[in-house]
Amino acid sequence: MATPATITIEDVQSSSPDMTVKIVKFSGQLDESNVDEKANMVYELIEKNPKNLNLIFDFAELEYMNSKSIGYLTDWYGKVYENGGKIVVAQTRPNILDILQVVGLTQLIKTFPTIDEAKFAISHSA
Amino acid sequence: MSDIATIIKNNKKEPIKITITLPTHAYFMSGIRDFTLALIRNTSDFSEQWAYRFQSVVDELCNNAIEHGSSIGKEIKITFVNNPGESIEMMVEDSGTGESRMKAAEIKKLVDERSGKESEMHDIRGRGLAKIVKEWTDELSFTDTPDGGIIVKVKKYLGDVKSKELTQSLSFAGDQTHIVI
Repeated sequence: MATPATITIEDVQSSSPDMTVKIVKFSGQLDESNVDEKANMVYELIEKNPKNLNLIFDFAELEYMNSKSIGYLTDWYGKVYENGGKIVVAQTRPNILDILQVVGLTQLIKTFPTIDEAKFAISHSA
Repeated sequence: MSDIATIIKNNKKEPIKITITLPTHAYFMSGIRDFTLALIRNTSDFSEQWAYRFQSVVDELCNNAIEHGSSIGKEIKITFVNNPGESIEMMVEDSGTGESRMKAAEIKKLVDERSGKESEMHDIRGRGLAKIVKEWTDELSFTDTPDGGIIVKVKKYLGDVKSKELTQSLSFAGDQTHIVI
């Protein structure tokens, strides 16, 4: 028994052949009942793309995230950043942005109002 | 808003106390979060932003009770007290049957260590009580129960929130976590 949540991954055309860009779209509520299982999808993605992986996390449909999911987000960021990539967040709802801010994550991970702005930031920081 | 909600909202004097007991399982937390959101919206003077914040606070308190305090098959007890025009209190009590249960003093020490402004967190766990709950409440206390469990109690004063909202025209979508009056 788990709260409904989905993660879908979409390829994005990259401006550089050395760079992999993907949109990771989250929907539903990430909580204690489902976050460990859902986190594995992102870990698998990171393992399959060990170098220069750039991820845009689309939070438009993400309704809730708990502190453990924030812990995973921090861990993913560290793993991706160590290998020349980055993670940015886009289309965050106000309550999610509020949580990211209170734990200090917005000082580490950039947030953008739109996917296009996130794509622009990724492509111009290579 | 329903009639009963209107009556409760218009009640400016008497504290409203609601207690919920639920089995030790994270599955039930989605319903508790929905309940918290509706309760704050419909019966208190706290803003929408604070309704979502209390939703997180309750979720984190219960997750802590489920992880550390109550084993599967046992229960956790959640109590909401709305003091109209003054404050919201929330208490979460575990049964003290969890395998990794802690004493009140131990958990308080952990939270104090992790909640320092300079404290950088690299672990996946540990932000719930130390960051979210601590930052979004005015009072946070831990009490041992005679049965070996813990009651975690939090309180948020409305006056504190209102004064901050007046001075910073609270931008819910803004990029400012810490408010300076």
